[in-house]
Amino acid sequence: MYLVADINVEICAAKSCKLCTQYCPEANTIQYSEEMGKDKGFKYGSAYVAVDRCKGCAQCVWVCDNMAKNNAIKMIMIDQLPLAAITDNITYGDKSTTAVLVSPSV
Amino acid sequence: MSLDYVKFTNGFEKFMPKEYRDMVEHGPFGKKVSVSQMGSFKEILEEHPMCAGCAMTLFIRLAMIAVPNPEDTIMVGTAGCGRLAISQAAIPFVYGNYGDQNGVASGLSRGLRLRFGDKPKDVVVMAGDGGTADIGFQQVLHSWFRKERFTTIMLDNEVYGNTGGQESGMTSRGAVLKMAPLGKKFEKMDMLQMAKVAGCAYVATVVPNNPRRVESVIKKAVLIAREVGSAYIQAYTSCNIEYAIPTDKVMEDAKNVENDRYQFTEYVSEEAKQYLAERYGYKEFLPKPAAPAAAIPNKA
Ligand SMILES: Cc1ncc(C[n+]2csc(CCOP(=O)(O)OP(=O)(O)O)c2C)c(N)n1
Ligand code: SF4
Ligand code: SF4
Ligand code: SF4
Repeated sequence: MYLVADINVEICAAKSCKLCTQYCPEANTIQYSEEMGKDKGFKYGSAYVAVDRCKGCAQCVWVCDNMAKNNAIKMIMIDQLPLAAITDNITYGDKSTTAVLVSPSV
Repeated sequence: MSLDYVKFTNGFEKFMPKEYRDMVEHGPFGKKVSVSQMGSFKEILEEHPMCAGCAMTLFIRLAMIAVPNPEDTIMVGTAGCGRLAISQAAIPFVYGNYGDQNGVASGLSRGLRLRFGDKPKDVVVMAGDGGTADIGFQQVLHSWFRKERFTTIMLDNEVYGNTGGQESGMTSRGAVLKMAPLGKKFEKMDMLQMAKVAGCAYVATVVPNNPRRVESVIKKAVLIAREVGSAYIQAYTSCNIEYAIPTDKVMEDAKNVENDRYQFTEYVSEEAKQYLAERYGYKEFLPKPAAPAAAIPNKA
């Protein structure tokens, strides 16, 4: 089993700084959705992780904790994630993406 | 080498993989994208086998976003870790023998000018510190002395990462590596000074913990190399394997190294400043308005 990054939508959407999207070494791994968090009344959207692309380096955790000072990202065993985004279920819009969350473990 | 190559071949659209369709429909081609939009468009770079948490990977990711016209760009590389990612992207990649990248790029950029005339076609070399400052040194320096119009980017991880930790000319004095167990005996080479002496029109250092700066430096370099002359960017892109940097501390290391030996520096030749200001509206390079003429003292 291995660790992947997991972003807490409620904590992220309160700040929604997008810093982690610019610091993850892997392309299209931390994505951004304007809709996530809207149902909970947040003005801005949230970042989320396409877990099939995540290499588990935890750089995003450092960035969110130390640069964004928001502690929204934790490393979690992939089979402990109830639902997650994977590349196949992400669609691109104009300024944001939409992800249908699915179970990451087969 | 135009927007035509990022289209579907008639009738094949439904057979293409999702990543390819996303690239055609939501990629950066023909649009202006910036690092602030990361996470909301399909990037040029795809999955690749570089190590988890590698800062070189992040730099390459940012570079692919920063190139001003990805559809009219060719990347040239050589042996070393970076090729593993640069080759997995929707930008044509030319890969030669170890160290010949600046020779290959010289021929390529001249050939493109003959073939396409004034239509800008950008050539960008990305190679390791070993490939640039050791094995490719002669070709790199000569391309600069000849004022070849392309961009050279050194991915400086201060070690031969791909082959398990030999020292390079860019390793700092005293650094102990697996295959330099007694510590390096010589100073880190001053490639920045050499680039200036050789006549580069643009020379800059950058670290990946400042994505916006990486973007702006690469844009300027590529635009200058289009018409004015050689551009050189030296980027600190740590090797977390050979320097045993825990992956969640890679950005902290980049910050420390930035403060220690990788402060941001930028040299822009006068000709390049004028070109960036006139052609591309770079306000910081506009000539400073002449100070109002000193009032003529009233003799009366
Ligand atoms: C002519 C030749 N000699 C040696 C090699 C083996 N080789 C492959 S990568 C490499 C070192 C790369 O170091 P560097 O250029 O610093 O890039 P890094 O892997 O650190 O990014 C060497 C020696 C080769 N591919 N070709
Ligand atoms: S750095 Fe933290 S707060 Fe900022 S977008 Fe990423 S998860 Fe959200
Ligand atoms: S753990 Fe590493 S690869 Fe995974 S999302 Fe975070 S920064 Fe990206
Ligand atoms: S060996 Fe070093 S430079 Fe090469 S991919 Fe791994 S961490 Fe990056």
